[in-house]
Amino acid sequence: MAGIAAHRVMLLSQNQIIASNGRVLEDIPLKHFILASLVAGALALPAHAADYTIMAPAAPGGGWDQTARSLQTALQEEGISGNVQVVNVPGAGGTIGIAQFASQQKGNPNALIVGGYVMVGAILTNQSPVTLKDVTPIARLTGEYEAIVVPASSEIQSIDQLVEALKKDPGAVSWAGGSAGGTDHIAVGLLAKAAGVDPTKINYIAYSGGGEALAAILGSQVTAGVSSYGEFEAQVKAGTLRLLAVSSEERMEGVDAPTLKEAGYDVVLQNWRMVAAAPGLSDEQKAAVLADIEKLAKSPTWQETLKTKNWADTYLAGDAFDAQLAKDISATETILKDIGLVK
Amino acid sequence: MTTFEFLLQGLLSAMEPINLLYALVGVTLGTAVGVLPGIGPALTVALLLPVTYRLDPTGSLIMFAGIYYGGMYGGSTTSILLNTPGESASIVTALEGNKMARAGRGGPALATAAIGSFVAGLIATLLLAFLAPYVVQLAIKFGPREYFALMVLAFVTVSSAFGDSALRGLTSLFIGLAFSVIGIDQLTGQTRLAFGVPDLLDGIEVTTMAVAMFAIGETLYIAAQGSRGADIVEAVKGSVWMSAADWGRSWKAWLRGTMIGFPIGAMPAGGAEIGTFLSYATEKRLTKHPEEFGNGAIEGVAGPEAANNASAAGTLVPLLTLGLPTTATAAIMLAGFQQYGLQPGPLLFATNPQLVWGLIASLLIANLMLLVLNLPLIGLWVKLLTIPKPWLYAGILVFATLGTIGANPSVFELGMLLTFGLLGYAMRVFGYPIAPVIVGLILGPLAEQQLRRALAISQGDVTFLVTSPIAAGLFVVAALAFIVPLIMRIRGRGQVLTQLAASED
Amino acid sequence: MSLDHSKSTSQQRRPDWAALAIAVILVVIAAVIFFDVSRLKGTAGYSQVGPATVPDWIAFALVGLGIWTAIEAFRGDFPARDHQQFGPVVWVVAGLAAQMLLLKTAGFSIATGVLFALVAAGFGKRKLWITLPVGIVLCLGIWVIFAGLLQLSLPAGPLEQLFL
Repeated sequence: MAGIAAHRVMLLSQNQIIASNGRVLEDIPLKHFILASLVAGALALPAHAADYTIMAPAAPGGGWDQTARSLQTALQEEGISGNVQVVNVPGAGGTIGIAQFASQQKGNPNALIVGGYVMVGAILTNQSPVTLKDVTPIARLTGEYEAIVVPASSEIQSIDQLVEALKKDPGAVSWAGGSAGGTDHIAVGLLAKAAGVDPTKINYIAYSGGGEALAAILGSQVTAGVSSYGEFEAQVKAGTLRLLAVSSEERMEGVDAPTLKEAGYDVVLQNWRMVAAAPGLSDEQKAAVLADIEKLAKSPTWQETLKTKNWADTYLAGDAFDAQLAKDISATETILKDIGLVK
Repeated sequence: MTTFEFLLQGLLSAMEPINLLYALVGVTLGTAVGVLPGIGPALTVALLLPVTYRLDPTGSLIMFAGIYYGGMYGGSTTSILLNTPGESASIVTALEGNKMARAGRGGPALATAAIGSFVAGLIATLLLAFLAPYVVQLAIKFGPREYFALMVLAFVTVSSAFGDSALRGLTSLFIGLAFSVIGIDQLTGQTRLAFGVPDLLDGIEVTTMAVAMFAIGETLYIAAQGSRGADIVEAVKGSVWMSAADWGRSWKAWLRGTMIGFPIGAMPAGGAEIGTFLSYATEKRLTKHPEEFGNGAIEGVAGPEAANNASAAGTLVPLLTLGLPTTATAAIMLAGFQQYGLQPGPLLFATNPQLVWGLIASLLIANLMLLVLNLPLIGLWVKLLTIPKPWLYAGILVFATLGTIGANPSVFELGMLLTFGLLGYAMRVFGYPIAPVIVGLILGPLAEQQLRRALAISQGDVTFLVTSPIAAGLFVVAALAFIVPLIMRIRGRGQVLTQLAASED
Repeated sequence: MSLDHSKSTSQQRRPDWAALAIAVILVVIAAVIFFDVSRLKGTAGYSQVGPATVPDWIAFALVGLGIWTAIEAFRGDFPARDHQQFGPVVWVVAGLAAQMLLLKTAGFSIATGVLFALVAAGFGKRKLWITLPVGIVLCLGIWVIFAGLLQLSLPAGPLEQLFL
């Protein structure tokens, strides 16, 4: 990201700080700020047994960071934990964060890390020595679905027409989305495969962030665009983009587009976010963390957060989550090999 | 209500005394944090945003605008006085500005930067208010090939920042380019030149490199001169204020800088620093005092500073009209807007006119406050240079490392700071210019990515690059910028320029 | 400024060995680039310019610049260099290295205070018993403002704990 650091796009919630280079500094809870301005010493808070430290392995503003900070707020407000800190370690699709987490927090029952589906791909493409096997996944918290759009001026009216064009000449259909090997890229690969097109032949144009890719789609520089639905929502509602399909299992509420499955392409892709604990925990310690997260997921504060942030509640924990995770990892490895990004 | 009435209403509420006070507090805080090397406007705004939460929406919006402009201006002060540009957009300012400061003309340099920023901010904010919907239509016409053509133009024109030796200028540029390919290749996800070091996967930070090369390299170089360098710095020679000649040379540069900076800022992948590069190159080509460039030409400060501020206002064009945050600063501003209930997007101007015009009015007021605050302070700032050298340089290094530590408290990052500082020192010793390294680091990845995107979209058809009128036009300008100086050199450059100057007078 | 162990030897002999060394370094950088990108897979997709192409161009240019530099070195075309005093440079580098090593353990104020004192020493102010306390107090003040009030994450050490 050197050189283009300043152009990276980040969406922030209110209590965050970013360096001009996109790195995180710290969060500024308002109350801390006021306290600090009164007496520096007043900042000291009493220590609690279940004081969690949550690592967000990304710069502020992105999904993982927002998840970590929402967890922080909810855990504190629900009284599940007395004092929760968020630490950001950005870089390389979360692999820098997870490597640091796995080595420094081993056996620490108070350490949590936020992660997500993007990590699965990043670990594979970056050949990261530390994988999700080196942490203790606790639960999936939320997820977003991918959306496929074309500019309003495009001749393509439906997902079938787009796939038709793709079948005719895969190179002529250019797709704008996020970084190579990310969820957007994987979605295009899966769609191509489901439609019987060689995934290595897709013409995927990677952009650094939502803003730049969106500008390319709006300017009709590319044939189609892929990103999570939230990125496109405002433009779709304003009529500047045409939504062709979404990657959810069932129709999304308030979204006027078929799922890929309905359209006859067996692609369901959720860009989920999860929380994991440190490696090397005893079964009791793991159960204690799971109980806290379970309590959190059911709490009114968390449910309210999901609603205001427009995050779908896709909570999944325990063995069911472990099984889903294993399935996602192997499916991702297959498609990344099919696209040619992983050997 | 018409556009004009909305703006007037916003201005009236912004001019209430209490709101003016908030604007003053905002620019003061913004300037204070923005002067730290390595802490650019984005971080300044992020750091200080919580301060605004406690105010009513109008006051908070105004203070926010003040912080934004203050943070942007703060960087130029240190660039000019201490040769330590803390962010990429003020690197060019240091080139001529610091030479001026060393010649005792720090006052006029700071003044032309402040007034130029004001003029550019004023014009650009008005352009934003009245032309945003049209400018944005042009901006999204820029696809990969147009950006690539723009980068080629930037490469050709910034060669004027290369100093007197083509060999050493090009070597510096290619060293910067070599550093720029370190990290994950965005288009294929493969790692290049990281040698298995995870900290290098995301590449080298431009701010780390700039602070190291300029602040640390400069400090080492001055230290190595021992007692001989003692009298180089004269705090004030002549007036602290701008003379009539300074005004005469500055105002055109301000306007040209604004005209270059605003449209480039409005482009989703433009970036503030490219406008400053192009403005510097333009001023160098057009000046009647070519001999002063490299030794402290006031146009070389006035133009880029205006371009920098105009491009900041330009950034708001895609943000407000499309909801596209195209820079880190814009992304932070988006977070700021959300607290005022603004949801930037294609419908913003229609659904929330009061807030949008309130913001634009606040920007105008903040811009004015910046001038009010900074002009009287210039006399004080230049006194900084009279601090005895041991204390001055010790202080510079404390602040330079403070910015880096604050941005990323990692030992690896400090190690890079030291390594690049030594590189910057060595390059100074051997007469290599520093700025091209940073130029290469910034422009290299942009040019490479846009070229590869354009070729991927065209499926390898090279003619695609030149078949858009905008791209073709930019390539023609780039070719002219390359060929004309060659011809002028062949015909005797000085002679032609003298003739040009004479015929104009 | 008190120490000045300068031995004025002109370096302008032919060939210019330092300039030749630069030429060699440029070629070595080019070799490293060639070597590293050669292992990249040829996944250029639809663009004939792949991930290795641009680095290769840069490396070729560096080789060319290396040759050019060598020619100028033999012709003695490099500009005269001022004599450098390495004593002060060592002080400043030591300050930066000390800050880097002390930052995590001793905290921001002590580490940066040491940097302050060593840099001041590099510029001739060798009275560490004055500059060190001044530096540490100054940095503690900075820490209180930036970490305490503005929540910049500057590492805390024993001194800072007193204010937490």
